[in-house]
Amino acid sequence: MKAGEPEEFIVDGRRLDGRRMDELRPLKIEAGVLKRADGSAYVEWGGNKVLAACYGPKEIHPRHEANPKRAVLRTYYSMAPFSVYERKRPGPDRRSMEISKVTRQALESVVFTHLYPMTAIDVFIEILQAQAGTRCAGITAASVALADAGIPMRDLVPACAAGKVGGHIVLDLFDVEDNYGEADLPVAIVPRTGEICLMQMDGNLTQEEFEQAFELAIKGCMQVYEKQKEALRKAYEKRSEE
Amino acid sequence: MSARRFVVPGEEVASGRVKLGEGVYREGDRVYAAVLGLLDTSRGVVRVVSLAGRYYPKVGDFVIGTVTGTIYETAWSVDISSPYTAILNSSDFYREVDPFRVPLMKVMRPGTAIYAYVREVAPTKGVYLTMKQRGCRILKGGRLVEISPAKVPRVIGRKRSMLGMLTKETGCRILVGQNGIIWVSCRSTGMEDLVERAVRKIEAEAHTSGLTDRIKEMIVRERERV
Repeated sequence: MKAGEPEEFIVDGRRLDGRRMDELRPLKIEAGVLKRADGSAYVEWGGNKVLAACYGPKEIHPRHEANPKRAVLRTYYSMAPFSVYERKRPGPDRRSMEISKVTRQALESVVFTHLYPMTAIDVFIEILQAQAGTRCAGITAASVALADAGIPMRDLVPACAAGKVGGHIVLDLFDVEDNYGEADLPVAIVPRTGEICLMQMDGNLTQEEFEQAFELAIKGCMQVYEKQKEALRKAYEKRSEE
Repeated sequence: MSARRFVVPGEEVASGRVKLGEGVYREGDRVYAAVLGLLDTSRGVVRVVSLAGRYYPKVGDFVIGTVTGTIYETAWSVDISSPYTAILNSSDFYREVDPFRVPLMKVMRPGTAIYAYVREVAPTKGVYLTMKQRGCRILKGGRLVEISPAKVPRVIGRKRSMLGMLTKETGCRILVGQNGIIWVSCRSTGMEDLVERAVRKIEAEAHTSGLTDRIKEMIVRERERV
């Protein structure tokens, strides 16, 4: 057993942070929190704090990256040095480049990029505090920021993970479960059509376990989706009142 | 204003045989919102009026732009605060200029503000302006105020009510570009400040009703101090 690993993940049917197997961490989403960006969103998901900002469509630089058929979506996922227990060296690294890429691909599947040829749409995701599941929180925030910027898209993209800890399939792993658990399965979907636009897996699951975890993740996504819509509606109502 | 429903991208807004306007898309038999905005189903067309977003050039729009530092041999490049930089050919200038006798730099320097008409948007997204339309000119003096293009209709108002009121109450010359840039020229900078504040207020409270009256009140109250 590694240092810091809990002896039991599930005690009396409850997880270490008191949640049930199929329960999300408390989720709060706010749209339009930044004044300078075209669109923005802030997500607090358990111990995760994520800020996403969106610019565009705008003229693309460097010019040779322009695509005459569609807009180029560029995503930047970055973790603040103070987002984790041991200071993270700032700047892009292998992990954040991978997450930027999968985030971009997830969002590209919904944004109507063909409407804005020769332009760029930039999305910046900043992890202020991390407690596992930041890529899901990042995608969730980024899609709200895109909508807030008025960018045409097929649907919002909610994301949520499921996994296996202590032999149980659970929803939305937090850091202890993620570090010492057996598997993690982040999923992002297009809720209206049920398309999957992100799915990764860390660890091992049997086919039955996978199916169970996958279904649970989809259910989690649908809950996140409701929160996303609510956040956009609230931002609109707030602006109307002022 | 009529109560229009607020929708988010992906929300179903209609089904069956309907005409589609902007901000919506069809998939199968159903129609969904593509942007965040207010649903409008009047006049047999389903559309979503966007609440945000940048200016997308459309032929027939009057826009306000500034000449950029890149001046070509026979054309100016104009920033119209959109994803695409616009081109104004010397032949589209409001009067005759011979670019081979007089350098275009001498006719309009970088930073010059102009009121121009979108003549063409090429499939390659080249945007061409012309100043050979009524009202097009170089904007001397005054200042430019930039707002969200989505809020432009509110600054103009129904049948130009808001713009007419602003002009009448302040005595300023105001031009509104469809791209969200507004030119304000008054006799005093104090008055320009006031108009700018009014425009910002309109932008911030664009979706509230009775706005024209409130803005008028504000101007009448504050113009004494100018």
